[in-house]
Amino acid sequence: MPVRREKAERLADEELMPWIGRKDAEAFEVFYDRHGGAAYSLAYRILGERGAAEDCVQEAFISIWRSGGKFDPTRGSVRSWTLSIVRNRAIDVLRSKAGKAPKMTFDDDEILESRPSEELTEEEAMRHETASEVRGALSQLPDEQSKVIQLAYFGGFSQSEIAAMLNVPLGTVKGRMRLGLEKIRGELAEGLA
Amino acid sequence: MNVNDHEQRLEEVAAYAIGGLDPQQVPDFEKHLAGCKRCQEELRWLAPAVGALPEAVERQAPSPELKQRLMAEVRADAADAERQARTDEPHQRADARGGFGDWVRGLNVGGLTWKPLVGLALVILVVAGGIGYAVGNGGGSGGAHTTEVPVAANGIGAKVVTEDDRGELHLTGVKPLPKGRILEAWVEREGIVEPVPALFAPDQAGRASTTIENMKGVTAVMVTREPAGGSKKPTTKPFVAVPIET
Repeated sequence: MPVRREKAERLADEELMPWIGRKDAEAFEVFYDRHGGAAYSLAYRILGERGAAEDCVQEAFISIWRSGGKFDPTRGSVRSWTLSIVRNRAIDVLRSKAGKAPKMTFDDDEILESRPSEELTEEEAMRHETASEVRGALSQLPDEQSKVIQLAYFGGFSQSEIAAMLNVPLGTVKGRMRLGLEKIRGELAEGLA
Repeated sequence: MNVNDHEQRLEEVAAYAIGGLDPQQVPDFEKHLAGCKRCQEELRWLAPAVGALPEAVERQAPSPELKQRLMAEVRADAADAERQARTDEPHQRADARGGFGDWVRGLNVGGLTWKPLVGLALVILVVAGGIGYAVGNGGGSGGAHTTEVPVAANGIGAKVVTEDDRGELHLTGVKPLPKGRILEAWVEREGIVEPVPALFAPDQAGRASTTIENMKGVTAVMVTREPAGGSKKPTTKPFVAVPIET
């Protein structure tokens, strides 16, 4: 028996996944409605082309659907798991396009401010706040730390590639990556405190 | 492992978390990670920072077509899964109902007899397996009720999912429409055929869906190809006919 749309909308992400595992299209539609926008935004940020980003999202979501929503709750939230699948697929696409440089702008002015806060649900508001915190943390990072994080996460470059690209020692890249990520983490922790 | 070595490993945690570790280093690092509580803790600590990065990306809206394409594929998969489940277990395939033939023969569209259409409608069902159709009921109050016509010789499969008084018709294997044509669904209620307002078209994969807002008293759902904008009465033969158990 399929889950009804109204019921599916009330379920938490983790509760939706077993329904998706049972091939429930209604549950999957709710899942897409919740995360499709963020997934597309991420894919677009990485690939820089609408068509490629949509193909990437479609493939990623279909893989989730066909794998029966095999989500491991010990490895984080459904959303971060989903976005990591989208990110990995987008990076694969990027790598398969030989010679194509990733989109590297990370203009703070461009970052999420899509709707007024009064229109956000509680969960969306939290994400919105998280986005603001990450944006704040990124803007406060020294350029060299921010750059290595962006090159690795959004560009799909490895430490060695980044070191060669920036013409700095590998150890320097490692250190910048760790320091930058820990600062963002610290900022998030302060926001939660 | 001395302190300096471990400090190096901790730097690798950050790179691993963000997907920046060199691919050839990953197996070795994962082996270390499996037995190192400190690195596991560091990875857990950093995970929210990595998970938050995509949230800071400028929000872009995907096109509505992306969802349509995705859900068409998902619904077709779900229909296949349902069909497979029925095939795999001793099932209760409904016998061809004598009433259906009677229904087609007696079909009346505001005075327009559907008798000439009987042949085609029956061909779809006969080839599909002895004018059989499958009915699946989710059970429980307000549960969904599925009526499905297996894929016919013309390659078209049809399914009507009814929940409460609302229905959804899903077609697969529909060929692209000629320019200026659209799909229109029709419901038969008390022997009278009425148009379903929502016109629809197949996607690139040949899947097409439409919503039937009121399924009360409906005994059959059909689909025809009509001029763009739809018709008040069918102008072509129905290429799909799904009898609904009432």
